[in-house]
Amino acid sequence: MKNDDVVEVSLFDWRYFYPVLFIFIFLFTIIIFNGMINDWGRLSNGIGVFRTFLSEDVLPPDWTVLEPLTYPVCTVEPRILDFTCSRAWIGMIETLKIAFVATVFGTILSLPISLLAARNLNTTEVSYIARFVLASFRSFPSLIWGIFFVILVGIGPTAGVLAMTVYTVGYLGKLQYEAIEGMSKSPLEASEVMGLTKLETAFQVVLPESANDLISQIIFMFEYNFRHGTVIGLVGAGGIGLYIDTAIKYLEYDRVIAYLIIIFIVVLIMDFISIKIRSLFTEEVGHSRPKWREVFFPAWMIKR
Amino acid sequence: MLFRNPSIPYKRLGSPKIIIYSGGDLLEKDLQQNEPIILLKDMVIGYSKEEPLVQIPNLKIYPGEIVAIVGPSGVGKSTLMKTIAGLVKPISGYAQVCGKIIPESPLRGKLGYIPQDLGLVKHASVIHNVMLGANAGHNKSIIPFIPIILPSLKAKEEATKSIISMGLKEKMYEPIKRLSGGQQRRVATARTLAQAPELIMADEFLSELDEETIAMVIGEVIEYIKISNAALLVVEHDIARARIMADRLLVIDDGRINPFITEITAMEVEV
Ligand SMILES: Nc1ncnc2c1ncn2[C@@H]1O[C@H](COP(=O)(O)OP(=O)(O)OP(=O)(O)O)[C@@H](O)[C@H]1O
Ligand SMILES: [Mg+2]
Repeated sequence: MKNDDVVEVSLFDWRYFYPVLFIFIFLFTIIIFNGMINDWGRLSNGIGVFRTFLSEDVLPPDWTVLEPLTYPVCTVEPRILDFTCSRAWIGMIETLKIAFVATVFGTILSLPISLLAARNLNTTEVSYIARFVLASFRSFPSLIWGIFFVILVGIGPTAGVLAMTVYTVGYLGKLQYEAIEGMSKSPLEASEVMGLTKLETAFQVVLPESANDLISQIIFMFEYNFRHGTVIGLVGAGGIGLYIDTAIKYLEYDRVIAYLIIIFIVVLIMDFISIKIRSLFTEEVGHSRPKWREVFFPAWMIKR
Repeated sequence: MLFRNPSIPYKRLGSPKIIIYSGGDLLEKDLQQNEPIILLKDMVIGYSKEEPLVQIPNLKIYPGEIVAIVGPSGVGKSTLMKTIAGLVKPISGYAQVCGKIIPESPLRGKLGYIPQDLGLVKHASVIHNVMLGANAGHNKSIIPFIPIILPSLKAKEEATKSIISMGLKEKMYEPIKRLSGGQQRRVATARTLAQAPELIMADEFLSELDEETIAMVIGEVIEYIKISNAALLVVEHDIARARIMADRLLVIDDGRINPFITEITAMEVEV
């Protein structure tokens, strides 16, 4: 009986497959990249060009973007708050509003589609149709949708909201059906055997079970939409990008850099908030997080 | 009794698990009174034709009966349960469960199933999970194809009652993931009791419990079976416990229980 337990041992091991594959992919990438760069000298020239551009056109940033506009007259009461009448502030708030509305609309529309797209809940045909819808919404970035809706409804935040809603449906829908497909199939089987309807299963089993993932993704989507909302104004779809676009047209690069710095700071803050909120909804992992000094120093150095 | 299906090659190792159980012939007297809740004929189950797991020539389970399946790990007990529940397609054979012929599934709420991994909604509360069963059993759509939206008082009552009977009153609003393994098992049992099915299929629903709790859970389940004239099909790795609980015992064996088996073996063990 035990004879069958003999196993042949050799040095070849499938565990080496992925490291070797990775090395090949990396070499392949280098070859492709080398093919695209016909003149390595231009890369080093870039630094010089950048330096001139920085010192002559861009610096110092033009912080007047934070000063209140002359028209309409600013009536905010404590004078300290009059930056809320500035271009940067107004644009930023508009971008936030666009991102928020688009995320909520997008979520409402994407949830039912992603429930249909999940292969563990539906037949292959249904899920493929739903996936096709989501993929087509996702196939263009929100910037392209922005151009499309600016043509349709004119310049302004409405076009931004529509563009971003469409993209959110496509992108969030994909994230969500993947989260739904990742859930354990045992609760689904249990409710199937009990005879619960598809709708009951969707709302009482699938949504509660994957709620944490879904919420975390919605918040991520809001953060993502906010970041992209700064760009979408470049095509006229509202938000702070509209002001950047104007500044670029007038070659006011010092103003552009001021806007970019503001965007950078606000995006950092939003990222931070989003990570904090999402951490409330993600599963607490088994091991405790490493402290920064445990990452950089070997254990015997920090042990006392 | 010895059975051998010549069409299925029997390999001693690798795929040793072609086991036959035969039963049900004893109960001819019941046949006149009752339709069997489970009727299996010439069933071969497993995940692929090439490696069938278990073969069941004939099995009938009647209302009011408690039948335990025992057998070593990995022999295909859970697979048999899933096949009866309609989750795994049988390789061949005829199966009738709760009056429907597989692959047609039983009517809503007729079949109660406690999977080995319980199938609970981990992020939801105890009452939410038990309400799933209660709704399946007591909240049925009057008009077909119209989804059930309205809550039902009866379902809520049944759910509460079965949670209390499983000793989980204090944990009613606790999310499942914060319960112990044994408590989670009791939630799954409560869910099935709240459903009031005609047939309960329980896959190792007593593991991780202490003796006292086991007595309580078995007591409640058996009381339900007797009162409602339902049937219980249970997988139990503890043979002694299976003997106490069950009216009949099905043994699925690949030679690990009885090492003298050299052929495909069918066993019926009298309790
Ligand atoms: N989804 C699956 N696809 C293919 N094979 C499977 C699948 N699930 C289980 N098996 C195999 O079927 C065999 C029987 O598994 P099953 O879960 O029915 O065993 P079991 O008798 O319930 O064991 P245990 O007592 O450990 O629960 C095992 O060899 C397992 O590897
Ligand atoms: Mg099992």
